[in-house]
Amino acid sequence: MQPSPLANPLATVVQLETSGSQLDGVPQDLENSIRFAGAQLTQAAGMLLRLPQEVIAQALVVFMRFWIGGDGGSLAEFGAEQVSAASLYTTTKLSAWPKSPRSIINAYAYLATLPSLSPPPEQPKPDSYYVSEGTYQTRRTTLFQAEQRILQTLGFHLHVSLPYTLCITYLQALDIFSHPRAAELAKRAVAYLNTALLSPQLLYLTHQPSSLATAAIYLAAKETGIKMPDVEWWEVFDTDREELGFLVVGLLSVESFAEEERAKWEGRSIPMTVEELEAEMKRGDGGN
Amino acid sequence: MASRWADDEADKAEALRQKKEKEEKKRLKLQKQQAEQEAAAAAARERELESRPAKRRRLSNDTGSQDVVSQETPAERPLLRFDGGGWGPCRHVSNFETLNHIEEGSYGWVSRAREISTGSVVALKKVKMDYQQQDGFPITALREITILQRARHKNIVSLHEVLSGSDPSEVVLVMEFLEHDLKTLQEDMPEPFLASEVKTLLKQLTSALSFLHSNHILHRDLKTSNILLSNHGHLKIADFGMARYIPPPDARLTQLVVTLWYRAPELLLGTETYGTEIDMWSLGCIFGELLLKEPILQGKNEVDELSRIFALCGLPTDRSWPKFWRLPNAKGLKIPRDSGAKSGGVIRTKFPFLTNAGADLLMSLLSLNPEHRPSADEVLEHAYFREQPKPKPMEMFPTFPSKAGQEKRRKRSPNAPKRGEAPGMQNVDFSGIFANREEEQAGAGFQLRVA
Repeated sequence: MQPSPLANPLATVVQLETSGSQLDGVPQDLENSIRFAGAQLTQAAGMLLRLPQEVIAQALVVFMRFWIGGDGGSLAEFGAEQVSAASLYTTTKLSAWPKSPRSIINAYAYLATLPSLSPPPEQPKPDSYYVSEGTYQTRRTTLFQAEQRILQTLGFHLHVSLPYTLCITYLQALDIFSHPRAAELAKRAVAYLNTALLSPQLLYLTHQPSSLATAAIYLAAKETGIKMPDVEWWEVFDTDREELGFLVVGLLSVESFAEEERAKWEGRSIPMTVEELEAEMKRGDGGN
Repeated sequence: MASRWADDEADKAEALRQKKEKEEKKRLKLQKQQAEQEAAAAAARERELESRPAKRRRLSNDTGSQDVVSQETPAERPLLRFDGGGWGPCRHVSNFETLNHIEEGSYGWVSRAREISTGSVVALKKVKMDYQQQDGFPITALREITILQRARHKNIVSLHEVLSGSDPSEVVLVMEFLEHDLKTLQEDMPEPFLASEVKTLLKQLTSALSFLHSNHILHRDLKTSNILLSNHGHLKIADFGMARYIPPPDARLTQLVVTLWYRAPELLLGTETYGTEIDMWSLGCIFGELLLKEPILQGKNEVDELSRIFALCGLPTDRSWPKFWRLPNAKGLKIPRDSGAKSGGVIRTKFPFLTNAGADLLMSLLSLNPEHRPSADEVLEHAYFREQPKPKPMEMFPTFPSKAGQEKRRKRSPNAPKRGEAPGMQNVDFSGIFANREEEQAGAGFQLRVA
């Protein structure tokens, strides 16, 4: 049967219970931190490469899919930075905006020199992120290795349906655009959809795009104070009350999670490579 | 000793049976429990509904998310559920055993194989990984896999799964096995297909194309060797190695697509923007090939191919194809401008046994101007399919001995162009096509030699 073009493959309960990293002894909170940082890195690299958000979002979902489940990839084997780069590379390859390995490697080399992703420094130092030919060759090899592993781990299920256009369609169906502040609402809804990509609850892996779009509209309407129909309008968009509630809580919790992460890693860098992870875990063991 | 083994087997089987029985009982019990629980819950809900006054729910609450979760569940309304499936790692190739080799295609080796656990026969396509570490995983294979995963249609070969080997770079596609491909089949047939059979084949092919185009997919390598036929007359398009999604308008496309004999004139002339029309041209070539039992435009190279096209379909004129002169490679062409009236082409004479409706369809598919070619949906509505003889029902289709079963191919048609060949294509000099015809033009206007 033809799969619905609006639906995504979702993670199973078994896949959500464990992960390749946890089986290799990486603590779950550390895994969450690294995955969150890796997702932000992917978003930043995508913007640096001037990719449309739809391509970046697809890469982010591929990145998230890779880590989950006992058969999933492990941080003890692949660094988050490496997988982030390979996710972006594979996704752009299939899109209308392919990027060369060199562009990808240069973008990640530059981002690696920044102390934090936001705000960017005023004075970049070009020699700090210069990639020599030798380094380029090695990094390209690891990029291709990670790509191969992503493809095999996902069984080549790279397809990602996104909620952005659905969200706009729903707003039109709700006749929101006649409202003077409709643009504000739409912006907030899209912002929530972008936020959901980074969620430690992996919302894009557990919910269909139609529900994500509905929850984003619900929150955006609440925030902008624009009145929605006085009925259970979300059911029109195939989302039940329970799912909507779960998504709303999930979307709102990302902000506090991000704050906690920032406080937790204040002055330290999150381990984005296998070596850094090993050092971090040794340090953690010594502390205990 | 033998009896010892037999005993063991029997014991095991018995133990297994008992275990199964137990599990079955457990399952039934659980089911019953669940049903009871559900019934109780439903009753409770009903009571609740009755006891409560029907009040309107407050929807725009300021407390945020809380109200949504805490409010009572309303009476069930059925909502659409989408099943997008899931994902898991690739299985290992050792789950299959190879039966025989079928062919080597543009990017992989195809063989017939059997799944060991189920015994079902499939076609395995091994992806060639000779990419010299330039671009990582081959884009052609990646596109084929992602497109086949999404394109589920009765006339498109279905991709069951993707396997990986012990070597990380070994990737194998598992697809359904069909007995024939149209090219090999036609080579072995003493006579061409009957008119009714051609209609059945063309109709199936066109409905697959209609599906692809309405899903924004270009096949870009339609030819008889990529079209499979089962022993039950069921046709399926295969080999999506050149296929891609129609990109947004600002993205450039490569002109290096479609095997030469099926390549549309605008591609030969180096257009950078093209669409579904190039597949329709290939469809026209296949239509003609089914009628004649051999490819109709067997050019030796790009220049030869284009001159054969002009010989068959006539010359482009300012009226029939206004954009013609703006194509990159058209500049080198010296076409007699005043040939207007005499550029009708010889399609009608080359297919004497075709009905008027059939000839009309073929000529429209082989229109030089891409804008004049019908869409797949329009082809399906064409009078040709409604007039006598009607398309032959698939069950009535003749069966043929399968070559893919046991034998290797003999003849080969040119392959789809390889990536990276583009530089040579940029400046093809077409000026020679009409060089020897200058004199004819000087005489009584341009004439086509009808051989």
